[in-house]
Amino acid sequence: MEPFIHFDHSWQDQFLKRISEDGPWAKEGMFQLAYQAEKERLVPSFHGLIAPGRLPQLSLHPHQIETARAVIEDMHGKAILADEVGLGKTIEAGLIMKEYMIRGLAKKILVLVPASLVLQWVGELNRKFSIPAVPQRKTYVWSQCDIVISSIDTAKREPHRSLVLQQDYDLVVIDEAHKLKNHKTKNYQFVQSLKKKFCLLLTATPIQNRLSEIFYLVSLLKPGYLGDAETFARLYKSGQAQVKNEEKLKALVNQVMVRNRREDTGLNWPKRIIRSIDIPFSEEEQAFYDSLSDLKDAGILQGFSLLTLQREACSSREAAFLTLNKLHRTAAHPHLEGLWQSIFNKLNTIKQNAKAEKALELIQQINDKVIIFTEYRATQLYLQWFLKKHGITSVPYSGGFKRGKKDWMRSLFQNHVQVLIATEAGGEGINLQFASHLINYDLPWNPMRIEQRIGRIHRLGQESDIHIFNFAIQGTVESHILNLLYNKIHLFEQVIGELDEILARIDLRDIDKQVELIFEESDSEGELQIKLDNLSSVINSEKRSG
Amino acid sequence: MMQQAEIHEFLVNYFTASGCQLLPVSEKDQIKVKLTKEMDKLLMNRPFYWHYIENTGGIPETATLLLRTDSQTEEGELIHFGSPRLHQILDSTKKLAPFIRLYQNLPPHSAPALEPWLGINYKISYQCDLKKDRICSTGLQLINGTIIDGFQEMLERLDLIPKLPDYCYTLSPLIKIKSGMARIEHFIESVLKKEETDWAENAGKRWSRDRELLDSFYEQQNPKPDTYFKEIEALRDQYEPRILVQFINAGLFYLQSSTFIPGLIKDR
Repeated sequence: MEPFIHFDHSWQDQFLKRISEDGPWAKEGMFQLAYQAEKERLVPSFHGLIAPGRLPQLSLHPHQIETARAVIEDMHGKAILADEVGLGKTIEAGLIMKEYMIRGLAKKILVLVPASLVLQWVGELNRKFSIPAVPQRKTYVWSQCDIVISSIDTAKREPHRSLVLQQDYDLVVIDEAHKLKNHKTKNYQFVQSLKKKFCLLLTATPIQNRLSEIFYLVSLLKPGYLGDAETFARLYKSGQAQVKNEEKLKALVNQVMVRNRREDTGLNWPKRIIRSIDIPFSEEEQAFYDSLSDLKDAGILQGFSLLTLQREACSSREAAFLTLNKLHRTAAHPHLEGLWQSIFNKLNTIKQNAKAEKALELIQQINDKVIIFTEYRATQLYLQWFLKKHGITSVPYSGGFKRGKKDWMRSLFQNHVQVLIATEAGGEGINLQFASHLINYDLPWNPMRIEQRIGRIHRLGQESDIHIFNFAIQGTVESHILNLLYNKIHLFEQVIGELDEILARIDLRDIDKQVELIFEESDSEGELQIKLDNLSSVINSEKRSG
Repeated sequence: MMQQAEIHEFLVNYFTASGCQLLPVSEKDQIKVKLTKEMDKLLMNRPFYWHYIENTGGIPETATLLLRTDSQTEEGELIHFGSPRLHQILDSTKKLAPFIRLYQNLPPHSAPALEPWLGINYKISYQCDLKKDRICSTGLQLINGTIIDGFQEMLERLDLIPKLPDYCYTLSPLIKIKSGMARIEHFIESVLKKEETDWAENAGKRWSRDRELLDSFYEQQNPKPDTYFKEIEALRDQYEPRILVQFINAGLFYLQSSTFIPGLIKDR
C-alpha cells in the first residue's frame, strides 16, 4: 500500500508576505535553535520506547516497560491490561499514554475511571508522567482540554454525553473495565459508541473463565475479533458456561490481553508474616459480653441480630453503647428496665479495653508506622483518644473523607505520626506501602475486605516484609471466624488477587451474608463448626482447581 | 536525546538569542534569567497580568526564572529532557523563528556577488499505528535551480548576518519564490516515493484484516448502526499509512557562489 504524502502549506502565504514587506525576520541564533529543537526531538524508529528516557524520576519495572512495548507494537494500541493487583496497571497505562503523546500519535485522550479515583488519576498522570490531565468539572472541558479524566457515570449522562460522543479520541482508557461485561447496559453501549483510535481496558479480574465477558470486552476493543455473538457461541460454548476449544480461545485472547502475574515479574515480593492473637476479655468485659444474650432471651432483639451487638462488644464498649442506646430508646418497657439497668451497669464498670491494651503494647514494641483497621467509627475515636493518652500520635482515616482530607491524613501519617486508624470504608484506593505493620483490630466477615486492607501495604514499592496482626477475643464470635474460617482457607497467606479470582468464580461475593446466616441458624457449637467447615472446603476446592 | 550539559548550553543560547538578560548565579549549572516582555508573555502564561498592565498603563515587572540542570543543586527548577518547561521552550522556538533572511559575511576583496537561495526545513513523519520522523533541510539556488540536501547544517558553518555587507550586492533570482517552494516540494516528494514502503504495506495489511473482522461482526445488521461507521473511521485513523511533511522554518539566504563543497550538491 502506497502511503499518501501530505505537505504542510499553511506557512507559505505568511512567508511571501514577509518577503514583500521586508520582514520581520527572526534572529539568526533562534532560527538555528528552532531547527535544533526539532532535531533533538525526532523519533528515529518505529520501534522501542522513548518515554522511559524522559521520565528519569520514575522507576519503572521491566514488566511494565515490556507491557507498554507489546501493547504498542504487537497489539497496535488496543489491549486489555489485566495484571494482578498491585503490579502497576496505572503506571503501564500512563507509560503507553506518554509514549503515544511523545510520538505525536495521541493528543485527544479520555480516561474513564470510578468517580472516587478521578483525582488520584489526575494526580498520578501529572506528577509521575508530566501529563497535563484535568478532571472533568465543566462542560467546556470536553472540547477544550486534550486529556480529560471523568467517571463513566458523568460522561454518559446529558449534557455531557452528546459532547463526548462528538469528540474524536485518539486514546480511550477505561479503568475497572470488568464492569463493562454486560453489553445491554448503558455503560457498555456508551463506551461502544465512543470514537477511539487506540483503547486500553484495565481490569484486575481475569476474564479467562467467564465466556460471555471475554466476548463482550474484546468486542469493545476489536469488534469481530472473536466473531459475532452467534459464531462465538457456536465455536466456544458447550452447554451452560462450559468452554470448548479452550486452547484456541486462550491463544486468541492472549493476543489482545496482557496479564502479568506476580510470580512471573521476577520481582522480590515481600513476605506476609501473620500472627493471630487470641486476647482474653477482662472480667468486666466478659460479664458485659455475656449479658448481651439476656436481651435475646428477653425477646428484645426482634429482627435484630445479637451477632451484631456481640461483634461490637468485641471491638469496644463505645461501639456497643451506640447500638444499645438506640435499642433502649426504641424498645424501652417499664418491666424490662431492670434488665437494661444491669446491662448498662456492666458496661459502665468496664475500665479497660483488652484489645486496646494489646494494640498499645504492640505499637510500642514495633516502634514504626502501624495501620489499625477497625469496623467501627466509635472504636476509631476511642483508640485515638486512648493512644494519645499514652503519648502515641495517630490520625483517623475514613472512606467518607473528601479527597483533600484523605491526602492530608495520608501525608501526616507518612511524615509525622506513628499510627493511622482506618475504618472499613477507608480501605479502598489508598496506597500506604511506606508502612509494613497492620493490625486487624476487628475482623470483617467478608474475606475480600481483608484482602483489600492488606493490599494497601502489600503492593509494588513495599520494601520490607509485612506483618499482619489479627486480633480476636477468646471464646467469642471473633475467634470462630478467625479459627474456623480464615485460618482454614489460609486467607492471610494468599497472594494478592488470588482470592479475588476464587470468590468471583464461586460467586460468593456476599460471603459475609453467608457467614452471618451460618451463625444465626446454627443451634449448637457443633452445627456451627460443620457449616463453617463446609464453607471453607468449598473455597479450598476452588482454590485447587484454579 | 540531549544530555544535561547540552540542555544547559541550549538554554543559554536560547535566552541570549531572545534578548533576555542572564544574571549571575552561585552554581555553575544554574541559569538565572530576567525575561523580556515578549518572552514573559510567551513562557509565563499569565495573560490576565499583561491584560491588566496594558490597560492600566502600569509598569510591568517581568519574571525572573531560576533553572538548574543538575539534580544535586538545591535551588532552581530542575530541567531535564522530560520536563514540561524544556518542551515549552523547545516549542516556543518555532513561534519565535519561522522566517529569516541572512547574508553571507565575506572578508574584504572577496567576489562581491551573492546568489539567492531558498531554504526550507521540514520534519517528515511516517505514520500509521506506529510513527517515526526524520528531519529534512533543503536549499534551492534561485538562479540555476541547484538543490542541496542538508542545507541547514551547511549554513551553520558560515558567517551569516542580517544586513547586506557594504561592498556586496545580490543577484536577482530567476526562479520566483512560489515556484521555488513548489520545486523543493517536488524534489522531496520524488525522494519519498523512492523509499521503502514495507512499513506502509504492513500497516495496510493490519488495516484490511481489522476491517474484515469489523464487517463480519456487523454482517447481520442492516442497515448498519452508527457505531459501525465510527469504527471504520477509527480504523482509518489508526492504520492508514501517511507521510506528513511538516514545516519547521524557512528563509532567504544570499551566499557566495563558491560556498558549497562538491559532492554535497545534488545535480538536478
